Amino acid sequence: MTLPAWSEQFARERLGQVPATLPPVVSRRWAFEGATGAGVRVAVVDSGIDASHPAVGAISGGVIVEYDADAPPSYARITEVEHGDVFGHGTACAGIIRALAPRCELFSVRVLGSRLTGKGPVFAAGVRWAVEHGMHVVNMSLSTGKQDYFGLFHEIADLAYFRNVMLVCAINNVPGPSYPSQYASVFSVAAHLGKDPLHFDYNPHPPVEFGAPGIGIDVAWLDQGSITASGNSFAAPHIAGVVTSILSKHPRLTAFEMKTVLAALADNRIPPDAGG
Amino acid sequence: MSARRRDALTELAQLAANAGPALVPVGHRELLLQITETARRLFSAMACSLALLTEDEEELEFISASGAGAEAVRELRIPATQGIAGWVVMSGQAIAVDDVATDARFAAGVAATTGYVPRSIIAMPLQTERRVLGVIEVLDPGGRPGATLSDMELLSLFAGLAALAIEASTMFGDLGRVLLESLAGADVDADLATRLRRRAETAPKPRRDLADVTALLSELGQAGPDERRLAVRVLRDVLAFTRGRSPA
Repeated sequence: MTLPAWSEQFARERLGQVPATLPPVVSRRWAFEGATGAGVRVAVVDSGIDASHPAVGAISGGVIVEYDADAPPSYARITEVEHGDVFGHGTACAGIIRALAPRCELFSVRVLGSRLTGKGPVFAAGVRWAVEHGMHVVNMSLSTGKQDYFGLFHEIADLAYFRNVMLVCAINNVPGPSYPSQYASVFSVAAHLGKDPLHFDYNPHPPVEFGAPGIGIDVAWLDQGSITASGNSFAAPHIAGVVTSILSKHPRLTAFEMKTVLAALADNRIPPDAGG
Repeated sequence: MSARRRDALTELAQLAANAGPALVPVGHRELLLQITETARRLFSAMACSLALLTEDEEELEFISASGAGAEAVRELRIPATQGIAGWVVMSGQAIAVDDVATDARFAAGVAATTGYVPRSIIAMPLQTERRVLGVIEVLDPGGRPGATLSDMELLSLFAGLAALAIEASTMFGDLGRVLLESLAGADVDADLATRLRRRAETAPKPRRDLADVTALLSELGQAGPDERRLAVRVLRDVLAFTRGRSPA
């Protein structure tokens, strides 16, 4: 019998067997113990990274994305070049991820800092670059509320999901749309009150699914310094760091399995032995 | 219309268009001042300032401020690619910094210019579904160090309202300017729709689009009832499609 095109993939001889990735009980020990972040490539889509900051250390590469009105359809020019941090925020995110996954490979995708015009296309091109250049985790402490970009970011978020690239996005605090942080396939994060970087909450009422430290936390900043700051944009790299750490120990996990793992390890989850 | 009355109308429009920048924004400025003053009281803050993006989106202009250092900060312009305010408008994300003085560049820059260096700051983007307008900053809220989660949530709600009010007020002002500039144009013999279309060719964005739309509406006003009904239906469909693209 001839199978329709899509179903051919499910023919027994083609499908093969998929290894089990999740244990019967997901524990913190199974998830984190011995994990270093090694072998996981993480892109920080932000204002650049200051690799000379002691909280960050050497990074593995990076690009600057700028608006180019003469370069349709992306309207973005991507330059692979060493660069610093314009605002300090990208360095803050990189420092948080580095602390949770010390041996991960950090990449800076600088989309903020050159000019505001063309922000949407530049931001989208930066995320697309990360998805198409072998990143495993992408941290985005930024979002757009402009409805014109709904489709553009949705297409990139779907591409990331199908390639198993985990997009971790800070949800926008401002009421109204927030792309890509409100798409179902991304790890959408807001700040909770806790300070322990390895502890997070799971919200069963999306769009924002995970709560992580983001209020009054010490983060790396410009000029080798640090500041005490608050915002969802600091919560996202906590989840990105946790995801990176878990992924280094369990590289076969898919994005939906990773969400399952996070939900299972969340502080607000009733432990299985408590009859929950 | 007689030639004399037409000349008088054109002169009047020219006068209003020239005087516009001095007269029209009065209500707008009052609105902005009310926003910063209300926010300052709402958060029992030492100061509050509001900066809007310039038309070319290259700079942030502090349009309104109340509280400590307010006089100095008003009309201050900074590049939209610098500092905490810059990051906020570019990223669309809110941020609070507890001890601003530790960010040497910030302390030495904008804050020092105002003669008032705050300890803590909450900066929230002013944005609607259509665009980012600027940033609102609350300095030293509650007379205590550090922002709380509820401070940030409250300011986000307030900033959402403020952004809608500013957008509506700006659009109203822009529409008035477009109409006056068109009436004041040299082409006195042309009808309003033609004048608006010519204005649309030269006006800076976003007034260019506005002039275009107004020209079309002006032309439609002279069309028959069937054509007008058809146009309204098309416009409604376009708006429904636009709303449908983004889940609220």
